[in-house]
Amino acid sequence: MDTRPTGPPDEPEEPTNRPPSMHRVKMWLRRPYAKGIVALTVIIGVLLLPMAWIILIPMQATGAPASEIMAGIEQTIFVFTIVSIPIVAFVYAVLVYSLLKWRKHKGDSIPEDESPAIRTNTIGVALWTGVSSVLAFFLVVWGLIELAQITSNSYGTISADQQPGDEQSVIVNVTGQQWIWTFEYPQHDGVTTEVLYLPKDRPVYFNVTSKDVIHNFWLVELGVKIDANPGAITQTGVTPNKLGSFNLRCAELCGMHHAYMETSIEVVEGETFASVMRELGGGRTS
Amino acid sequence: MSTETITPTSTVFGAEVPQPKQHGKPGGIMRRLNLGTALIGGVGLAAISGFVANALIPAGASTVTFAPVAPDVVYLAILVGWTIGFSAGIGAFVGPIRWLFGRDLTHADAEYMAGKDLGVKRYFKFTTDHKVVGVQYLVVTMFILGFGGLLAMLIRTELGVTWSEVFSPGFYNSMIGTHGIAMIIAMIVSVMGPIANFIMPLMIGARDMAFPRLNALSLWLLVVAAAALVSTLFTGGIQDGWSVYQPLASQGPPAMLGYQMTIIVFAISTGVASVNLMVTALTMRAKGMTWSRTPIFVYGVFGAALMGLYAFPFFQYSQIMALTDRIWNTSFFNPLQGGSVWLYENLFWLLGHPEVYVIIIPGTVVLFEVMPVFLRKPLFSFNFAVAGIVGVVALSGLVWAHHMYMTGWAPAANYPFMLSTEMISIPVGFLVLVVIGTMWRGLVWTRLPIMAVYAVIFNKMIGGVTGIYLSDVPVDQYMHGTMFVVAHFHYMLMGAGLFGAMAGLAFYFPKMTGRVLDERTASIGFWTAFTGFQITFMAMFVAGLQGMPRRVLQFDSLFNAPNWISTIGAYIIGLGMLIFAGAVISSWTSGDKAPANPFGSKSLEWQTPTPVPLENFEVLPVVTQKPYSYGVVDPYQKEMDAADGDLDTQKVGSNQ
Repeated sequence: MDTRPTGPPDEPEEPTNRPPSMHRVKMWLRRPYAKGIVALTVIIGVLLLPMAWIILIPMQATGAPASEIMAGIEQTIFVFTIVSIPIVAFVYAVLVYSLLKWRKHKGDSIPEDESPAIRTNTIGVALWTGVSSVLAFFLVVWGLIELAQITSNSYGTISADQQPGDEQSVIVNVTGQQWIWTFEYPQHDGVTTEVLYLPKDRPVYFNVTSKDVIHNFWLVELGVKIDANPGAITQTGVTPNKLGSFNLRCAELCGMHHAYMETSIEVVEGETFASVMRELGGGRTS
Repeated sequence: MSTETITPTSTVFGAEVPQPKQHGKPGGIMRRLNLGTALIGGVGLAAISGFVANALIPAGASTVTFAPVAPDVVYLAILVGWTIGFSAGIGAFVGPIRWLFGRDLTHADAEYMAGKDLGVKRYFKFTTDHKVVGVQYLVVTMFILGFGGLLAMLIRTELGVTWSEVFSPGFYNSMIGTHGIAMIIAMIVSVMGPIANFIMPLMIGARDMAFPRLNALSLWLLVVAAAALVSTLFTGGIQDGWSVYQPLASQGPPAMLGYQMTIIVFAISTGVASVNLMVTALTMRAKGMTWSRTPIFVYGVFGAALMGLYAFPFFQYSQIMALTDRIWNTSFFNPLQGGSVWLYENLFWLLGHPEVYVIIIPGTVVLFEVMPVFLRKPLFSFNFAVAGIVGVVALSGLVWAHHMYMTGWAPAANYPFMLSTEMISIPVGFLVLVVIGTMWRGLVWTRLPIMAVYAVIFNKMIGGVTGIYLSDVPVDQYMHGTMFVVAHFHYMLMGAGLFGAMAGLAFYFPKMTGRVLDERTASIGFWTAFTGFQITFMAMFVAGLQGMPRRVLQFDSLFNAPNWISTIGAYIIGLGMLIFAGAVISSWTSGDKAPANPFGSKSLEWQTPTPVPLENFEVLPVVTQKPYSYGVVDPYQKEMDAADGDLDTQKVGSNQ
């Protein structure tokens, strides 16, 4: 039996007049505006890239991040900025190119020239939809994972009576009222303070409520925020990992002197924390 | 024309139409009613009901919290009296009452009510002509914007003067709340009022709106609500922000009742207007105007009206409940009596978030009408524009709780709400695609309306990206309630919404007023405001990132520098807006007469004569083609055909 091939293997099969699909892209890229817009997108993208770092500078002005949660927030902002840049750069490139390079008509008379009647473009629309959906999907997934992480870091889903009472953790009952914050330390004979003392590197649980109207308990540099609602207790928590003095502000309009409803957070070493509690009259140390 | 039959007839567009009996002169009692009688009726009934309420309350009566009863009840009586008296005085009840007596309107009556031969007087009456209502809406909107803008200047003054308090904290807080709600109301009606009312019937080839008297009613109820809102400044002020969260609001002065009445009346006004716009879009389109031949503006208005229609009742109910909490000690929202503050927040934001799309969608579709005319191109991907609007409307009701991420209401619900919120960026992205696709390779006729589109898209991208940060729960944990949020929504509502409405006004100005807009001066104003806008809100982003809470009047010296910059920017915005308003007013009063179609548009609304006659069209048009039929065959088309080698490709204009 003759098993030799019937022809040379590199011979073309059916002759076709359809050029390879990459040919369309190549031809498109050969157009003057295509190169211009691609170049402009890259330039604007590169110019915008530093924003990912610049946007974090004001956030870190007072010593943030002072906890894992805040570090996670900053990381998310960084990633979101990077992901947004290509789309923003492309849109701005079209705006700029349209104003600078495509034809212009000035004055009051109606232009006699008309533009190309482009009613749609399947490839363009598909690309835009695909890319924007993929980016949105990425942001959602990133956000969900990050949220699960900070929720577990802040013990946000553990109800007040089920929170672990181990020796390491500190419980603070936070009460907002017009226009002052009160912090009660139930593990230290119910000592109350108006400055929030927290030990470094120990998990802290907050049970937050309000005596009158809605306040918002915001530990700025620690990245913790939860409403203080009248008639309900909300939980959150954080493990401060940086020594220093930080800001606590009310972030929900609560009346006349809302602006002055702020105090400081003192994150101190564990021993210092114990001695502060003793000085304030809390006998038991934990 | 005179026939021998007993039934009188009237000639309507060449046809003999049988008429009901004519009682008196055409218009009947409506001939005597105008803004003057409305003010007399409103103020008069307000005074009477105020006195009666005061007389009925025993001296020294107090509530369970030892607050005096009288101010609340008297103020509520005054507000109700004002609302009913004004409505009666303008003639809002005449239609139903005539109906009760079985007196149908004759054609002559209807023509009188549409303002035939009334000249300037028709702008001060319960006039049913959609063009008159559109112009009335424009004026009212400009007044409310001016009022809110003045408050914004005062707020920025306080924040710029970091070394002392200019205003008392109570007055500062009430300026914030009043600025917020005034601007929200003004922005909701800024396109849907003037442009949709005036232009949409022309655009779809109709002689008027579907319900002309409801149209007039929606406008005059807006006037009633606006007056109630202004009155709050004299009764203690809305001191709780525009969201007036409970139970803070229940501590507030009687002004809270003014807020509640404003919202209750305004919700009726938007409900009536929404139904009217939707029915008009559905049923009044000219012969041959199939859905694919309907301009995108109509889709946008329909979508926005639909959102308004389902969202506003939540807000209205929340305010009715808050009102009964205050007056009758019901306890919907009072936690001490078993009420829930979270219930209020949910009801409020069930309006609050769809409402931003009620503002953004009309502001966007008006740009879609502008772009084809000035770029001499068809709208890119009409189907995607429709899909974007449908997507936004569909998701709009599922995202409200992203305003409540930090309330502790339902931590587990943060996951689905984050998902829905970030998903809405996809249909919004479609709308951006339509914009850049339409710009693609277009000739730019550099007039103010199209230049404003560039400004709006620039702002919208910044507002969009910052919105993505805020949609993320972890990031919101830092940014919720800060100036960052304030800057973000100003980029959306002002940077995209208001500047888009200004583009729409510049575009439709010749049709609406019959005059040519002084575009040179208006452009100077527009770009001054745009520059000031960037300065103000970029600096505000910085303050927010540094950790400055919103709605404060004094703050850490850390935030001084961005606030100084922001205040300077705000004055620049104010200056720009004054120049723009000056150009509008001077062109309106003394501009050149405008030709019927100064921009060479192919849409139906520009084919009418200017000024547009009563009933718009002598003969109703028949639509035979798709809108936006601008442009020539793409010069690259041959090259594409050669590349394809596929000669049955009939698509005109693949270009990529």
